[in-house]
Amino acid sequence: MQVTVNKVVDCKGLTCPMPIIRTKKEINDLEPGEVMEIQATDKESIADLKAWSESTGHEYIGSTQDGEIIKHYIRKVSKEEEKQEQKHEDVISLDELLQYIEGEEKVTVLDVREPAEYAFGHIPGAINIPLGELEKRFEELNKEEPIHVICRTGNRSDLAAQKLAGKGFSHVKNVIPGMNDWKGPTEKTE
Amino acid sequence: MTKVAIIASNGGLFDAYKVFNIATAAASIDAEVGIFFTFEGLNLIHKEAHKNLPMPQGAEHFQEGFQKANVPPIEELVSMANEMDVKMTACQMTMDVMNLEKDQFVDGVDVGGAATFLNFARDANITLTF
Repeated sequence: MQVTVNKVVDCKGLTCPMPIIRTKKEINDLEPGEVMEIQATDKESIADLKAWSESTGHEYIGSTQDGEIIKHYIRKVSKEEEKQEQKHEDVISLDELLQYIEGEEKVTVLDVREPAEYAFGHIPGAINIPLGELEKRFEELNKEEPIHVICRTGNRSDLAAQKLAGKGFSHVKNVIPGMNDWKGPTEKTE
Repeated sequence: MTKVAIIASNGGLFDAYKVFNIATAAASIDAEVGIFFTFEGLNLIHKEAHKNLPMPQGAEHFQEGFQKANVPPIEELVSMANEMDVKMTACQMTMDVMNLEKDQFVDGVDVGGAATFLNFARDANITLTF
């Protein structure tokens, strides 16, 4: 799996508690929303970095194993992101989206999470344009088609939906809450 | 904010790992951490002693295991704890008993009494004794 990240942190050869201490230090230098790859050889690091993420409110995206090396992906979550109020009024629930997807018609799903989050599980066929790239990539999308925008919890997709509406897209729906609660089919990037 | 209050009252190498692993891990989840060093626990912050803490009797054979597992030396964990603003307090009464002065401890250590620790631990979410 090739995953695009903003920073790679080397914790190879380190044992508990060093991987989390180094992770804590390095995450301070990330911008909110950015993704860090932590390379560790300590087997404990899977349980520990998950627990650390839960305690600190950051998003543990997933891990891959490459021989001895475990690669962890963590996204820096800001407090603002969690509290943000959703403004785009045209919304759709996960159940409704699932019904559409199971139906006959082609449904366009736009996933605005970071590539690493997308890689670890997304709705089959979903287009991935991270929120931060939407401004320069929105022309890849068809203005006439209904677009269902999704993220992890509904906040980034709300911002993306507002942005697209501002660009003249008239059939944009924000899917709420988001992939965190999605029970339908998903696929991983190989 | 989570607050963690720790009492360190033993002076062996294993004790040092228990204390500093939990303290630095707590600091890395943004907890406010305070350690009160008393009796033999003062060894853990003594400038020379903390670099060469004894293994428990009969456990000397673990030395190799520590090296093989690449466990960080206590020295490194102490400076880590300092860097992460872990509050370290040496117990005045036991310092007097053991004839120790503040300048014999690593940088960043304050001196205080039982009331100092209790005041810190009063509203702690987690209190641990090692």
